Amino acid sequence: MHMEKEKSWGDWIYELDNPEKNREKPEALDHITVLDVSYANMAGCFATSTLAEFGATVIRIEPPGGDPARTFTPWGYLHKDTGLGYLNEGRNKFHVTLDLESEEGREIFLKLAKRADVVVETFLPGTMDEWGIGYRQLKELNPGLIYCALYTYGQFGPKAACGKADVDVVDQAYSGVVSVSGEPVFDPDNPKPSEVPTKQGNWMGWYAGGAWAAVSILAAIHYRHNTGKGQFIDVSPAEAYGRCINYGITYYYGFKETIPRVGNYDVGVFPYTYFRCKDGFAFLSGFADPNWKALCTIINRPDLQEQFPTIFERLNVDNMKIMYKEIEKWTMAHTYDEIFDAVMDYNKNIGEGVVVPGRISSPMDTMKAENWWVRMALETIDDPHYGEVTIANHAHKMTESPPRVKWVCRPVGADNYYVYAKMLGYGPKRLEELKEKGVI
Amino acid sequence: MAREEYFKWAESLLDPSKTFDKPEALADIKIVELCTLILGPSLPSYLSELGATVFKVELPGMGDTMRSLTPFAKFFNGAALGWLKEARNKYHLAIDVRVPEGVELFKELVKRADVVVENLRAGTMDRWGIGYRQLREINPGLIYIALNGFGQWGPYLERPSYDAIAQSESGMAWISGFPDQLPMKAGIWLADYYGGLVGAVGVLAALAYRDKTGKGQFIEYSQAENLMRAMDWTWLYQHFTGKMRERYGNRDVSICPADIVPDKDGQMVAIGAATDQQFQGLCQAMGKPELAQDPRFATHLERLKEENAVELLSMIRAWVAEKTYAEIDELAGKYGFGAHKVANGKDHFEDEHLRARNFTYYVDDPIYGELYEEGIAPKLSETPGRIKWAGKPVGFDNEYVLKRFLGLKTKKIKYLKEKNVIGKWVDVPPGRKPPEGWDGKSGVLLV
Repeated sequence: MHMEKEKSWGDWIYELDNPEKNREKPEALDHITVLDVSYANMAGCFATSTLAEFGATVIRIEPPGGDPARTFTPWGYLHKDTGLGYLNEGRNKFHVTLDLESEEGREIFLKLAKRADVVVETFLPGTMDEWGIGYRQLKELNPGLIYCALYTYGQFGPKAACGKADVDVVDQAYSGVVSVSGEPVFDPDNPKPSEVPTKQGNWMGWYAGGAWAAVSILAAIHYRHNTGKGQFIDVSPAEAYGRCINYGITYYYGFKETIPRVGNYDVGVFPYTYFRCKDGFAFLSGFADPNWKALCTIINRPDLQEQFPTIFERLNVDNMKIMYKEIEKWTMAHTYDEIFDAVMDYNKNIGEGVVVPGRISSPMDTMKAENWWVRMALETIDDPHYGEVTIANHAHKMTESPPRVKWVCRPVGADNYYVYAKMLGYGPKRLEELKEKGVI
Repeated sequence: MAREEYFKWAESLLDPSKTFDKPEALADIKIVELCTLILGPSLPSYLSELGATVFKVELPGMGDTMRSLTPFAKFFNGAALGWLKEARNKYHLAIDVRVPEGVELFKELVKRADVVVENLRAGTMDRWGIGYRQLREINPGLIYIALNGFGQWGPYLERPSYDAIAQSESGMAWISGFPDQLPMKAGIWLADYYGGLVGAVGVLAALAYRDKTGKGQFIEYSQAENLMRAMDWTWLYQHFTGKMRERYGNRDVSICPADIVPDKDGQMVAIGAATDQQFQGLCQAMGKPELAQDPRFATHLERLKEENAVELLSMIRAWVAEKTYAEIDELAGKYGFGAHKVANGKDHFEDEHLRARNFTYYVDDPIYGELYEEGIAPKLSETPGRIKWAGKPVGFDNEYVLKRFLGLKTKKIKYLKEKNVIGKWVDVPPGRKPPEGWDGKSGVLLV
């Protein structure tokens, strides 16, 4: 014990949470069974990937032809018949097929749901209910069931019945985030097509929706642990992503204005942005008074600190443009490495106030940076069906029950034999019959 | 008819007006927060909406830097809007944890808590004697999460970080924005808010594990790594093709059609069809049902091919340019494709749908008055989320928490105040003290 205390914090915790040891440790959710009937929707798939990475048994139910989400892939690129977006979110799941539009398919689903802990679905609201396999029907068979439905407009409210489809780009637009992202128009007489509200490049709406679904499902699992009661959860990916907004509604309520689009500036913090440098782009910050002073010291411009001494001067957009130009004079005279070293040297040796430096990395450079591999943020795993693949792991390193990826995905219906035998006792003969009828 | 009945049922099941008649999922969970800015504070804020009791510990006087963060330095009733967003439902304590008596108070809180959330530099808490190494000795069931830019060990250990660094170093900024513009930082603190959210998944998974085994644990969490996990097909694409993922503006190159284009009035509208059925609907709405049979567009894999996608998206752009958003909206509902205009804070404030769903949430706060906020994202039928109050000035709840939860005597509390172990707000800079015109007692617990 005494010896242990002498270790540095970093060494001590590394020994306990080193992700190389993940696979030797127990799993947090290995007592939970999830049925995922997401359809053409990566929010549902991400929610259940997350649960599966933490150890839940996830049975991914697709229609016999496969989920259309299997074709969500850049320019149609397929790897062994599977689109890359889907391939990334098939993690640790068992993949079965079942035709929920057939009577027999629904009966089989009821049997599975009777013994499941969680159901996740993404159909238009009321679809599962109409099929007789919605929460209303399932809770009678399984009162402890946690049932999570994801849809842009949710399960109630004036727009819930509108019938519009849930697509990531739409979730992003409705969330409000797009309205404050992207370049402002530089010259109003000649606006560029790119100077418009702009979405995130990834499926950020769907990912936020899936994350909120996972949080709510886990909170409901805790509540069920205490009370035995299940419940219904309604998640809109648009609202889930909209909850990530800095201050849209309150700003409008308080000041009757909307937050403008200011490109890579930030209306609440300056300096806090990307600057051009000799060989790329550097991020620099210095918002709070001591940090601003530190930045002005590093770039040897005490005059700037005198001219813009408080946040009230620094949060004026016209002043931002002036300060930006002045700071950029310094960054343009240096390479990224020189900037990084100058800042870190100041932080270490003078250290009054902190300036935070960073680089705009292309995803290819990110993939080449050693840090992410050492930390297993990125990992190349050997999948039994899909071969060698590179994936990003969940960020959590945990001492007792860390998440992990065991396999990356499965082909359509690949686990029919295993899952139906294990859950329902169906052998090859019965499965052959169901296959002939098109149920699986 | 069946659908109508479903919506009635769903509305009665999830009715937000019944929220305060129902229990809370995390009512038995206590969280101690020693955090600044957003990445750390957002996590307990999310869990507080689901019922957790959160003790936010700040340093006396200035408190959290976040209390300064507000657009254009405009404060709402004395509160910074950035801070207000994450201050909800918390008990606000100011304890100087850098002195031994402050450390003792902090430990007494942690003894009674289930979760500790911190986002200081790696090793700071350990140095102060209140890191996981020390706290697990006094509370073995403790779940402790440390969030920051790059984690507790590894090559980037020395590097400080911010939201924008996580956005840029992960590659997320690079893949966002238009090809002819700089890589784009999201207009929100994405790595912070989304970081706190996925961080909460880890805390709740650890809670599920503790419910089974009684064991607590430490969770280490890097916000940059979290964004990398959300970058969908990026890593697989680069792995298989050796090509780099670039930025493609508002077009989604993995779902076609999906884009954001101007309508007749210049309003930007997102349009998307993710399945053949949705696409057929869109073609009908466009008055071109034959497009869905055209071999270039008949299947999703065909539509995704570059030249077909460009062709199709330009047809859609031309079609939307002739319609108003109201027309598009109606057609999208009728034909089942996806469409929504780019909504802003005003749209959210005025949106009856979002109000009915408690996303646009009305708070009548005893200190900061009436306000509206981005409210509750998930709707839970048995244990709905809620906002109880908007936030408190620095050290506002000291007396109440020390008395109720730690059982300290009035005399002891007075002593701690005199020794500056606990304290309250300073008047300057703004954002720390109660608003102008505060009556000196509204919102005070145990007056």
